[in-house]
Amino acid sequence: MKRISLFTICFVIFIASWVFLRFVVGGFISVPIPSSVIAMYMALIFVAILVHVSVEDTRFSEFIRPIHETLVDENRKTRRIVLAVLIPILMLGYTYTNIAQKAIPAGDPRVAHPVPPSEFILTYKEKEIGTMQEVENPYRHYEKDSPEEFKSHIENGRRVYYDNCFYCHGDHLDGQGHLAHGFQPLPANFQDPGIIPNFQEAFFFWRISKGGPGLPNNGTPWNSAMPVWEEILTEEEIWDVILFLSHYTGYSYRPSGEAH
Amino acid sequence: MRVTFFVLFLLFSSLFTVILVAYAQETPEVSERGKEVYEESCAHCHGIEGRGDGSAAENLLPRPRDFTGGVYKIRSTESGQLPTDQDLFDIITNGMPGSSMPEWESALSANDRWELVAYVKTFYSGFQELEETETTPRLINLTGKVKYSEKSVEIGKVLYTDLGCIECHGNVGRGDGTSAPTLVDVWDFRTWPANLTQGWTFRGGSSTEDIFKRFIGGIAGSPMPAFEGDTFYHFGLTPEESKNFALLEKKVENEEELTEEEQEEYDKLYEKWDTTVLAALDRAEGTELTPEAQKIYDNAMKDVFEKSWHLANYVKSLSPERRPKSAIGKNVLRSQYKEGDLPTLDDAEWGTLTSSYYPLVGQVIVESRQFNPTIDSVNVKSFYNDTEVAFLFTWDDRTNNTTVEETEDFGTSYIDGLAIQFPVKVPKGPTDEKPYFLWGGKKPVYLWQWMASEPESIKELTAKGINNAEEQEDQGTVQVNSEYKDGQYRLWVKRALKTEDKKDLQIEPTVFVPIAFSAWDGANGDVDTKRGISSWYTFVLEPVPSSRRFIYPPIVALLSLGLLVGLRQFVQRRNT
Repeated sequence: MKRISLFTICFVIFIASWVFLRFVVGGFISVPIPSSVIAMYMALIFVAILVHVSVEDTRFSEFIRPIHETLVDENRKTRRIVLAVLIPILMLGYTYTNIAQKAIPAGDPRVAHPVPPSEFILTYKEKEIGTMQEVENPYRHYEKDSPEEFKSHIENGRRVYYDNCFYCHGDHLDGQGHLAHGFQPLPANFQDPGIIPNFQEAFFFWRISKGGPGLPNNGTPWNSAMPVWEEILTEEEIWDVILFLSHYTGYSYRPSGEAH
Repeated sequence: MRVTFFVLFLLFSSLFTVILVAYAQETPEVSERGKEVYEESCAHCHGIEGRGDGSAAENLLPRPRDFTGGVYKIRSTESGQLPTDQDLFDIITNGMPGSSMPEWESALSANDRWELVAYVKTFYSGFQELEETETTPRLINLTGKVKYSEKSVEIGKVLYTDLGCIECHGNVGRGDGTSAPTLVDVWDFRTWPANLTQGWTFRGGSSTEDIFKRFIGGIAGSPMPAFEGDTFYHFGLTPEESKNFALLEKKVENEEELTEEEQEEYDKLYEKWDTTVLAALDRAEGTELTPEAQKIYDNAMKDVFEKSWHLANYVKSLSPERRPKSAIGKNVLRSQYKEGDLPTLDDAEWGTLTSSYYPLVGQVIVESRQFNPTIDSVNVKSFYNDTEVAFLFTWDDRTNNTTVEETEDFGTSYIDGLAIQFPVKVPKGPTDEKPYFLWGGKKPVYLWQWMASEPESIKELTAKGINNAEEQEDQGTVQVNSEYKDGQYRLWVKRALKTEDKKDLQIEPTVFVPIAFSAWDGANGDVDTKRGISSWYTFVLEPVPSSRRFIYPPIVALLSLGLLVGLRQFVQRRNT
């Protein structure tokens, strides 16, 4: 059996690495990897192969032998002609598709959950409630003190949610309501473990009461469809729906007083 | 050894799957669990007592199902029958497209969904009776499916007219038939015929089988009838017989004397028709048919089934497989460059472009809100030349409302319209502030507002909020033409790229411009803030295809060839 040349082995390793990164890691194991990152890995692999073949003179000459042969050897004429046709054609196609590509508008550099200014005073309409750090849900204490009372607040929150919120945020609180597909940014997904546990109830009160237009500029307030709920809901209704969100999803809010 | 192990593994795993599936399909007894899940997840729409009157119901169209009457739209069972448990399970699992009923597969375990099926059945005593009498609902016979083909679609198209589908669903299926604005369901709530060109809104799914089942079983509670004997002309007669019979009937009607032979033929056909219809009626009432009647009935139904499959194929042919994609950033409205005059409204040249799809949803942000928009989307195409840009906007609307009218049953009906929104000043980059997407805010937007009451004119507005729009003093720079036909508006708009007015948008090639839409369906009560809206999307005058793409690639190809030749020469020289 003819020995497989070092060049072929290296070539196969190089191609296999690309297939592995592009399709196995990016797709099968995890989400697709950006092409720039793949290019970086491939450059590393290329250098590694070069280092490997060039540490010994004999190995290096064995490595370049097939290249050498293809270029000058009389017996390799067909291979030479095929390559001389194939490589320019590939380059032609590559440049053409790159030039013909359509411009894509840049996406919005949006911060999904912008931090409010420090020393932020929470308000309902004009009324001051307290600093963002300190304010607690005024009905949260019923959870321990009076389960009956607490339940009625949860039920009121449920009513508020299904009368006002579920069109966008969804029956499952997953941000996939029947109107969600028309909005960008997409409505918040409360089932995402990164949402409720990361924010205080006061933060939710701020986001609900002031809505999209109340976002700082890095939150692209001009794109958000979140209404200014203080114009529609009472203060108590907002606190109740906040209770309902954690009741339904089973997540607890970040305790108040902790810095974000 | 390994092979044996593998075979054993396969055997055990398949056995395990079979047991799992069998377990999952078993319907458990009603328990407290069903009630618990229902009250946590369903009651806010369907009501605590299953009357379809939960607190959210007011704002939903179609309304949530009232379970107490045993009326179910989406069934695999014949007309007048209750659904099977599997039907109920499937609806809970998959939800109902085009309505607010979501899929529950991701939120509830299969077991909980079966518990719900059992609990929902307790709202209607008919299910209990079925169980007591140990009867099962009669299933729709799905055998004999006619494969999708152009020929079948053609036959279906003829049936679509003959059976009167047009009355509600309109000439080309956009749900714009003459009776469309008058329809109500059995609870007296307004209901619109399906727009057959938007299969993604079919509540019971849009596969050919799904459509077929809606024909044979009907959509209970809605005006959509089940295809039964009397749906079809001369039920039970072959086309030949039907033709003869029609001739004879005419003669009888005109009081012409029939020959003895004709009279005999007439009596024979009449009897055949009559027995078939009677058999169908008996069957619907639950009367056991005599073997002879059963045979006559089965024979006649064969024809009904075949026709229904053809019609299902036709309906299937009217819509794309799924809702077009509309991801922001990818869904750019690219205006194509054209030398010379831009096409007018009826120019065939528009057919060379594919349209961009922009979904609309209800304006639920400020009062008064529209929770149930009826306009699904706006589709847009555009051309430009050195001085002007032309757009073609199309959108489906079941009714052409040109005046404000008081209707007898559905309150006030308003005027249809469309508004196209741009910023007055184009943001310089993605970090630059845009106007608020809902008709601007502190940054103003520039609008073209067209209303069906004046189809030949369009207004230029400047707005700083949904309730803060002003007509521009300088009107008439925008040309317009429009048409309403078969449940669809087509609006053609043309404007110069540059204008003198500072309040107008100035359009330049290759600059990305935000664009958004508002649409009003007057019959749906849309007026002022009540409307369908879209997010900001992007519009751009696509650059004239560059000639570079014919110059650079050959150069690169030649260079690479030269490099190869050079390399070979270098190696050769070194060798010698």
